[in-house]
Amino acid sequence: MAERFVSERNLRFLLYEVFDVTELLKYPYYSEHTREMFDMVMETALRIGKDMLYPVLDEMDKNQPELVDGMVKVHPVVREFMRECGQGGWIGADAPFEFGGQQLPIMISLVSNFIFAAANYSASVYPGLTTGAARLITSFGSRELIDTYVPRMFSGEWQGTMALTEPQAGSSLADITTTAEPTDKGYYRIKGQKIFISASEHDGVDNVIQLLLAKIKGAPAGVKGISLFVVPNKRIGEKGELVPNDVNVAGIYHKLGYRGCPINQLSLGENDDCRGFLVGEPHKGLMYMFQMMNESRIGVGMGATAIATAAYYAALEYAKQRPQGRRLTSKDPTLPQVPIIEHADVKRMLLFQKSVVEGSLSLLFQCSKYRDLEMVLDGEEKERYSLLLEVLTSVVKSYPSEMGVLSVSQGLQCLGGYGYCEEFPLAQYYRDIRIHPIHEGTTGIHGLTLLGRSVTRNNGRAFQVFVEEVEKAIEKAGKEQELVSYAKNLKNALERLKGITTHLVGIAVKGEVELFLADATLYLELFGIIAIAWQWLLQGIVAHEALKSGPIDADLSFYRGKMYALRYFFAYELPKVETLAIRLENNDGLTVEMQPELFEG
Amino acid sequence: MNTVVCMKQVPDTETLIKINPEGTGIVTEGIKWVMCPYDEYAVEEALQQKEKFKAGKVTIVSLGPDRAIEAIRTGLAMGADTAVHINDAAFYEKADPYATAAALAAAVKDLEYDAIFCGKQAIDDDSGQVPAILGELLGLPVVTLVVKLEVSEDKTKAVATREVEGGHAVVEVSLPAIFSAQKGLNEPRYASLPGIMKAKKKPVDVKTVSDLGVSVEPMTAIKEMSLPPARQAGKILEGEDAVEKAKALAKALHEEAKLI
Ligand SMILES: Cc1cc2nc3c(=O)[nH]c(=O)nc-3n(C[C@H](O)[C@H](O)[C@H](O)COP(=O)(O)OP(=O)(O)OC[C@H]3O[C@@H](n4cnc5c(N)ncnc54)[C@H](O)[C@@H]3O)c2cc1C
Ligand SMILES: Cc1cc2nc3c(=O)[nH]c(=O)nc-3n(C[C@H](O)[C@H](O)[C@H](O)COP(=O)(O)OP(=O)(O)OC[C@H]3O[C@@H](n4cnc5c(N)ncnc54)[C@H](O)[C@@H]3O)c2cc1C
Repeated sequence: MAERFVSERNLRFLLYEVFDVTELLKYPYYSEHTREMFDMVMETALRIGKDMLYPVLDEMDKNQPELVDGMVKVHPVVREFMRECGQGGWIGADAPFEFGGQQLPIMISLVSNFIFAAANYSASVYPGLTTGAARLITSFGSRELIDTYVPRMFSGEWQGTMALTEPQAGSSLADITTTAEPTDKGYYRIKGQKIFISASEHDGVDNVIQLLLAKIKGAPAGVKGISLFVVPNKRIGEKGELVPNDVNVAGIYHKLGYRGCPINQLSLGENDDCRGFLVGEPHKGLMYMFQMMNESRIGVGMGATAIATAAYYAALEYAKQRPQGRRLTSKDPTLPQVPIIEHADVKRMLLFQKSVVEGSLSLLFQCSKYRDLEMVLDGEEKERYSLLLEVLTSVVKSYPSEMGVLSVSQGLQCLGGYGYCEEFPLAQYYRDIRIHPIHEGTTGIHGLTLLGRSVTRNNGRAFQVFVEEVEKAIEKAGKEQELVSYAKNLKNALERLKGITTHLVGIAVKGEVELFLADATLYLELFGIIAIAWQWLLQGIVAHEALKSGPIDADLSFYRGKMYALRYFFAYELPKVETLAIRLENNDGLTVEMQPELFEG
Repeated sequence: MNTVVCMKQVPDTETLIKINPEGTGIVTEGIKWVMCPYDEYAVEEALQQKEKFKAGKVTIVSLGPDRAIEAIRTGLAMGADTAVHINDAAFYEKADPYATAAALAAAVKDLEYDAIFCGKQAIDDDSGQVPAILGELLGLPVVTLVVKLEVSEDKTKAVATREVEGGHAVVEVSLPAIFSAQKGLNEPRYASLPGIMKAKKKPVDVKTVSDLGVSVEPMTAIKEMSLPPARQAGKILEGEDAVEKAKALAKALHEEAKLI
């Protein structure tokens, strides 16, 4: 196995040099913390990742969860890890003190979650989902719900989940049919089917708490009739004991990857005895879920980036050791073969991976910092960060997911035939990462969201704020001789994005909705490339500055590597904007017109 | 049960080490530092003993420059109560095991303790002498390479299992005593986030060697330090077929490696 799955140096670079997390310490909410503590958090997460999670990466893939007598059996490390995450405070790491959390900046929980996910994505999902589910309860639930569930979720005894999807309602949540019938006893009677629900039953915890979407009987049709419920697999009986709550596992799915964590089909209320507890107000469930979107979608982008990062280091390790072929200039066949990392084409593949994963991670830090600032600020400043998050959420979910798949594919390619074999880690990473463009909204749905909603709403206010942020970076870089050309290139690309956006909005104004959104996924792709180019420019500004001041030896190659990756991204990836723009300008309606029967031929 | 843990911050085993230009030590810049792994067992044992007796205090004592505070805080985050940081760069630079033990002894002598835990050796200079010299200076019994420890209810004696070549030896010792921890003694815990938050507020008493009122001179000095020689490239034996290659191998083993 490869020796490392993350770069601590790069995490420090992003955390302290590019996005200076210590700026947050001046706000009362974060004033309890110090940089020294952040370092210790990172150190500890690295150790847990290295000692507990990484060694069972392969095992959890090969020994998949099994359904035995209604209980899903998972790898024993799940219980051990959930306990550690509970006792160690990791599940409530960024939750407020008042709920028993550690109130750490979101940038810091990003670091620990990223480390865990890079070490072993499947394992990292269990505490990660619990954090998200608990946050829904603390944000919208009653004091009673909070007191009943959150402490045992934060302690890792109880698993939290998000139970949205149904057989007939995946992307289209408006179509869910799970029902909630009010009773006069303070709970609702739940009945329905949920599918694909991650970690929704397993023996690594004592109980599972589903944060579940259902429709209260008689509710309005569509999204306006969806409510959010807490549905425990075991409810608390009269004497405080746990009794079954009529949540039954109807089956588990066998997946392509991410095999260490089960996704189950749940049948709720088969015996009319499944109790759900309303969170917040009726009919506001989807709104509550969507308010959690920033968190869960940054989470998906993070998971994708983490897997692609681990894959990158495995490929790098291999490329340094595999002798194959000789230099193109070498005429002597008796000379030993060179390590493949000497070949320009292999370096190209590695640079592609480096630029995708480090660019994505940078965007994740950027969005996490916006979330932190959104939380500690008020008024107009707060609104600015909310707007930035609104426009970036689909991007930070989709770019790392889509490009992460390609990045891992290139990692696999570096291993040649060995990459295709399960004896080497790349095959698993390739399978594991493939979920990310699908769950938490498919890429297609995010294209529609970005163009159809985030960019256009409020007269394009969110888009405008995003453009301003990118322009700030362009201006700053424009002052440095070595960075001027990057600044100029990004400026041109940004102008292209503005032009395309105006053009597409013009089509929308004419009422041609289908034409307007036909290539929304390409728009998302174009947007993503610009967002990552912006992140590379920000990293380049810092790396360039550091190189000017003469870094210590150990850092010299780190910063030089950054400058190469910046150069790579602008030379190989940014030009793709042009091809996408050409297509987006041409609204000939090709995909709208194409008829289903024409595919048959 | 009150305990003292002598802890050293050392370079991480995975960090790339370079020798300094004078050849007397390593380049300390730009490398990663951690708590010595054997000292982690020592901290863990102190914490477990405290938890078992449901009372007492664990004090970490460390000799090292400013950066050593990171490892000290890690120990505090694991659950130790207080620390003494002998922060004296000039002294530390040339401290040999004797000087180190003398400084530690001076720091420890005013503390209350039933036992002192050390790692069996620091993984950087590997001298493994500090626990024994410390015992000599403090007039305490020393039990090394401990893999199991049971302290009597009244805390007057302990039974320690030591690792010895090919097996184990069980030793009874009166307390206070010094124990050096060997791998296997326990599973060191990870620092917890609440522990990390609390660590910040725990008292660390910073002292120089002169504050401690000792004047010691090291008895040894490092004259030269070198890295192990680079591994030599392997050799691929030529030959038409297996028989030829086997002949070449036998020849190489005989003539070059001089093994047969
Ligand atoms: C491993 C895994 C874990 C999961 N975990 C959870 C979980 O924990 N909780 C949970 O609730 N769900 C979970 N899911 C479900 C997941 O969120 C859904 O699979 C996802 O939302 C897509 O829904 P679907 O599978 O029904 O696909 P569909 O909605 O049928 O989509 C199929 C294709 O059609 C496209 N499409 C659909 N509608 C439109 C449209 N209106 N316009 C354009 N294109 C469209 C999609 O983009 C997609 O490419 C998980 C799924 C998997 C595979
Ligand atoms: C499923 C499967 C079926 C197979 N079936 C057969 C079979 O039936 N018969 C058979 O003989 N073989 C077979 N193979 C082997 C297959 O042809 C090799 O795996 C393939 O040729 C690559 O060689 P390699 O695996 O040694 O990778 P390497 O040659 O080590 O390549 C690793 C990476 O380095 C790059 N690289 C290598 N040399 C250079 C260079 N000079 N310049 C630039 N880049 C370079 C490659 O492009 C690749 O990305 C099979 C492999 C698999 C996985």
